[in-house]
Amino acid sequence: MTDERPPETPEHPEEKEKKAADAESGKEKDAPADENKDGTAAAEKQPAAKPAAEKPAAAAKPAGPKPVEPSGEVVETDVTRALGEKFGGAVKGVANPCGEATVSVEKARLIDTLTWLHDDPAARMDYLSDLTAVHYPNNEKKIEVVYHLYSIEKNHSLRVRVPLDEGESCPTATGIWRTADWHEREVHDLMGVVFDGHPNLVTILLPEGWEDHPLRKEYPLGGAQEEEIRANAFGRPGTMSDDLDEVRKIIKEYRYEP
Amino acid sequence: MSRESTPANPESPLRDVMETRELELNLGPQHPATHGVYRAILKLDGEKIRQVDSVIGYLHRGIEKWCEYRTYPKCTPIFDRLDYLSAVINCHGYVGAVEKLLGVEVPKKAQYIRVVMDELQRIASHLIWLGTHALDLGAMTMLFYPMRERETIMNLMEAMLGQRLLPNAYPIGGVRFEFPNGWVQACRNFLADFPGRVADYEGLLSENRIWRQRTVGVGPISGEDAVNIGLSGPTLRGSGVYFDVRKAMPYSSYEDFDFEVPLGANGDVYDRYMCRIREMRQSARIIQQALDGMPEGDLKGKVSRIIRPPAGEVYYTVEGSKGQLGYYIVSDGTDKPWRLHVRGPSFVNLQGVDPMSRGELVADVVAIIGSIDIVLGEVDR
Repeated sequence: MTDERPPETPEHPEEKEKKAADAESGKEKDAPADENKDGTAAAEKQPAAKPAAEKPAAAAKPAGPKPVEPSGEVVETDVTRALGEKFGGAVKGVANPCGEATVSVEKARLIDTLTWLHDDPAARMDYLSDLTAVHYPNNEKKIEVVYHLYSIEKNHSLRVRVPLDEGESCPTATGIWRTADWHEREVHDLMGVVFDGHPNLVTILLPEGWEDHPLRKEYPLGGAQEEEIRANAFGRPGTMSDDLDEVRKIIKEYRYEP
Repeated sequence: MSRESTPANPESPLRDVMETRELELNLGPQHPATHGVYRAILKLDGEKIRQVDSVIGYLHRGIEKWCEYRTYPKCTPIFDRLDYLSAVINCHGYVGAVEKLLGVEVPKKAQYIRVVMDELQRIASHLIWLGTHALDLGAMTMLFYPMRERETIMNLMEAMLGQRLLPNAYPIGGVRFEFPNGWVQACRNFLADFPGRVADYEGLLSENRIWRQRTVGVGPISGEDAVNIGLSGPTLRGSGVYFDVRKAMPYSSYEDFDFEVPLGANGDVYDRYMCRIREMRQSARIIQQALDGMPEGDLKGKVSRIIRPPAGEVYYTVEGSKGQLGYYIVSDGTDKPWRLHVRGPSFVNLQGVDPMSRGELVADVVAIIGSIDIVLGEVDR
């Protein structure tokens, strides 16, 4: 079991702290400069928190978490060139290792861009194949909503990404494609992104009244309840160690008796 | 939930004593016609349907989260559990996505074997659909004949892949096994019988007066609406929209085979039924061509033992038995996916229940849900 745990697990307490710090910044939310400060603050906290975790193995890890950046080259198609001419700096090409056309659009021009892509006779993206979101806690922009567009008539596709800050809302695409309805409800459920103007943004996959958003990176795999049970069983928060001998020792010393 | 009164018929002598209002009726979650734990809240005006609210999520298992904690090869078996009636095709979608991200070339022979297994699975899935859909509409006899043919396919699956239902069919980079001895002949025997069997099903249903009364003109949807709602697969093609991933974005050598994409005209339950029936015949044709033209070569491409794709994202779609099945993988350059998202065709197609059902009768909802062909494992993921 232990070998299946991710290497990040020893850092779990810090991640929780970071989450708390993020939540505080969300409450205050004075200026975007605050968030930068928060990022550095979280990075500073990490070395301080590591001795508390009492893990010599954790000290070997690099100090800052690495942001996720795509490799490969920016793919240019007729549609991306037309987008660049029409919307200028609001649309930027994104690198992709598999040759898929990808653009990143500013939130303010998102609906204009998507409407143009849907209506323009040269683009004609009439089919919204997929809509989802990705959480990048280590990047500058924490959440990206991703649209996969396809044109049945022209047989070409395009990926549109919208970078968002933590807690920032996203305009809804339901006015353009009705299929976005359930996709956006799913993203709201699992990622916590609010879609402005959505007609019925209620829970879809999770049970009613579920508070957290499971697909965010700080959410534990087994769910909050499992973490609680583990904490009670083994007298330590969060996760088990990667070191098998240590696990055996913990089980021996803190044998859980219901 | 709105319960506002509707104005009574002013001509009616009972207008002052009778109150008419919207009625709410629950279909499911434990209803045989919903094919799983799916609940539809029907809002009725008499027996006419005004609105259908779908309640899903009873089977939500969070497999997208689960995959973020597994290496790429270890993720493979879980996708069989999405749409458990076409496990092989789900597996193909996932390994195809990882292969595209890695830039792995799959040998031609492996591609052909995949086509054979995929199309057998598509037939098996359509057979289950045919039996249960007909059963929903009261044609009890129809359940048993497709099951007989499906059993043959399941036996072929077991002989080839070692498992009947959830075989974990393909490794990343190719296929595991050569066809076992005698398998190709058994498959050919099945293909020789199969068109006659489909003719039998059609003889029982297609011109049957009761069947036509229950399906023709029921739950129509226009092609434009169907595209806007994001329907795919036979549910979209029933409305006359030519979109099949195997033709539009050919993968796994589908461009080598000669087959037609059946289209409907009116987008009603009957057209969707006809599309699937004709699709089964086309699948049999594809298998025949793949067996005849089976190339020689390796079974597996060059894949390193530890799979670490380059950082970046990929979206790979295949034509599942229910529609366009898409896998979106974000890699951060490590051996585990940073994020994995599945575009389940059943999930998107289920949105069509509401626009299709408006104005129809209560009994027709069963026909409409059946004609969309949902599998709740894929809806909730």
